[in-house]
Amino acid sequence: MARACLLFLAGLALLCWLGPLFVGFDPHRPDWEALSVAPGTAGHWFGTDAIGRDVFARTLAGGRLSLTIGLLASLVALALGLGFGASAGLAGGWVERGMLRLLDMASALPFLLIVILLLTLFERALWLLLVAIGGYVWIDLARVMRAEAARLRETPFMLAATAMGASFGQRLRWHALPNLMPLAVVYLGLILPQAILVESFLGFLGLSVDEPSASWGTLLSEGVQELDGAPWTLLFPAGFLVATLAAFQFLGDSLRDWLDVRDEARADIEQAAA
Amino acid sequence: MTLALRQLQVHAGTRRLLGPLDLELAPGRCLGVVGESGSGKSLTALSLLGLLPGGLQASGEVLHDGQAIPLGARIAPAHAALRGRVLGWVPQDPLASLHPLRTVGAQLRETLHVHGRPDREARDLLARVHLTDPEAALKRFPHQFSGGQRQRIAIALALCSGPRYLVADEPTSALDARIAREVLDLLDALRREDGLGLMLISHDLPLVGAYADEVLVLRRGDVVERGATRAVFDAPVQDYTRELIEADAIAFVGGPSGPSFESVATPEELGPEGPPATAIPLLRGESLTMRYPRAPAPALDGVDIALHRGEGLALLGESGSGKSTLGRALLRLLRGAQGRVWLDGIDFTAQRGAALRALRGRIGVVFQDPYASLDPRMRVGDIVSEPLRIHGDGDATSRAAKARALLVAVGLDPAMAERWPHQFSGGQRQRIAIARALARDPDLLVCDEAVSALDAHHRRGILELLSSLKRERGLALLFVTHDLSAAAAVAERIAVLDAGRIVELGDTADVLGAPQHAHTRALVEARKLQRA
Repeated sequence: MARACLLFLAGLALLCWLGPLFVGFDPHRPDWEALSVAPGTAGHWFGTDAIGRDVFARTLAGGRLSLTIGLLASLVALALGLGFGASAGLAGGWVERGMLRLLDMASALPFLLIVILLLTLFERALWLLLVAIGGYVWIDLARVMRAEAARLRETPFMLAATAMGASFGQRLRWHALPNLMPLAVVYLGLILPQAILVESFLGFLGLSVDEPSASWGTLLSEGVQELDGAPWTLLFPAGFLVATLAAFQFLGDSLRDWLDVRDEARADIEQAAA
Repeated sequence: MTLALRQLQVHAGTRRLLGPLDLELAPGRCLGVVGESGSGKSLTALSLLGLLPGGLQASGEVLHDGQAIPLGARIAPAHAALRGRVLGWVPQDPLASLHPLRTVGAQLRETLHVHGRPDREARDLLARVHLTDPEAALKRFPHQFSGGQRQRIAIALALCSGPRYLVADEPTSALDARIAREVLDLLDALRREDGLGLMLISHDLPLVGAYADEVLVLRRGDVVERGATRAVFDAPVQDYTRELIEADAIAFVGGPSGPSFESVATPEELGPEGPPATAIPLLRGESLTMRYPRAPAPALDGVDIALHRGEGLALLGESGSGKSTLGRALLRLLRGAQGRVWLDGIDFTAQRGAALRALRGRIGVVFQDPYASLDPRMRVGDIVSEPLRIHGDGDATSRAAKARALLVAVGLDPAMAERWPHQFSGGQRQRIAIARALARDPDLLVCDEAVSALDAHHRRGILELLSSLKRERGLALLFVTHDLSAAAAVAERIAVLDAGRIVELGDTADVLGAPQHAHTRALVEARKLQRA
């Protein structure tokens, strides 16, 4: 299952990136001969929208933006969550408690309100979008990393480093971060779909990328307006989004199982060998 | 009326872990299975019980009263039926194998119920394992008992079904010597009085020798020696067996009329001439006190202690005596400890930040668990040179050269610097930890139970290494341990701790030869009787 999902996602990513090479239509240029035609007509496999733009080309272009923004925003969240969580867990004591309270406050903030404020106050820019999405999904990651770092704090090798006179920064860089990395990479697979979903949500509200660029979210909001006459403009991008999220979900489940099972099996075998 | 394993082999994929091996248990007899970790002794027990973890494949057969049950990928129903009814199992760690949220009585009654026996037998079983006040014990939870009592409860649970054989896998390795002997005496009484067949698994050959009729020595999955206990001890065929027999007889040759200590460290042998009485001690602790939150009694109760240059001092005590707490308090690794510590005349307790870290760089520390005290994501060379990197000594090239020299100094191959910790055995890892502790040429090496997680064979090697390093480098050694013979091998002085206080302090030969305090006497006695 996990392998099938990975293959599907890899295939989708390739299609989105390389698709424009063999789709013969520009996603932004209207085909005046074929306005709102149904799928399959005149070489438009997924049909066209009200102003004649090819839905297949637009879905692939939207996917390219959605996946890219999702990935970059996840990396932002990873950096934030790993840095914050590892520092809190390693520090312990009142510093850790204080930082945890900060996380609680961050998760209590009205996310949408803040994003709207940000996007209206500042010039619309990609980095702002990444910060907004990353700033939303990093919180869970930070909690997980905090818990794991707190476990590492009590390990004998960390104690040994303290006893050798290692400073906080040295312990963080040499021991905590390398040992948190594998877990962080697995969690990247779990927060990626969240980031994609949040981007689509913002796009649907018109808060993501501007016309004429399109992400899956902006395509959905256009499609909803044409639901009566041209339902395919909604259904195709929606199908792609749902399939992608489902694949990530299944993949995430296997990743989670793999994390758990590996620990149990390892303990079993070590026990047996002892 | 016997239970036997025939041609047992265990594989993990294509890798052979154990066998082929034959063994036989008979009622009223005790079979000892001895080996280091990784020798396959626990796999033998799990195969017999039909409890091998998934991913391992067993072959061969179990013979019970003439009935042959094949071992295979799946556990045969006939094999599963042996568990409980015929075979009882005493686990290594009773705290982990008893249910933490249910009373002892509930757990006993549940097992009795499964085997169709009346509830009231629960009390009799606890009395049978000599638990004091069995009536009250039924209503209590596992965490309310001591380690020795929990092991008795685990034995009572194993007896619930009226088994004819008991498999005890390292039943005492988590217990202090004195308590361990009581638990083994109980198992021995069950064997004699109820005619139980006993399979006693341990890494400690002398210990097994005191109880078993027959022993089987395993090494890396092969039987290297087997026979009647007396014959094996009198004339071991393999050098390896001889090494195991003598493993912890390094210093301790106890006799009834005043023990002699063959290689007890003497000042001439272990360091430069003794320090003048007026010299500033290298490490001094003054009225050290530590009270853990919610603990009824302090773990450390106003302890004063001093260690001089080049001297070996052992902090000896059972678990819970405060010896490790004292060691950590002296290293300033304990939040909430009170009292003062001086390192070479500098007030260690008053230091903060960079000054504290610099001072810590002057002490080498070796911890108990060589598997957990090395960062699994660092190469051995980086681990050994880490103290140099921390304190910014030298450049990358000189640090790497120093790491290789240190590996040689602890008896390892310098080429190992490129490898990862998981590629080494416990003894080798502990050598790596010692190399790391020596990286900045400290005056003081603190060893916190540094040999207690090791097999007999490796323990001896590490003790020899420590005492030669001490001699050659003039190191002062603070050696925290529960093991008398280990303490005697490296320390000129011994401080005996009990309930957070030092109850006896003196030269090693005096403390062990003519113990003054009742607690020390008990420790020494327990050791002697165990070897009888």
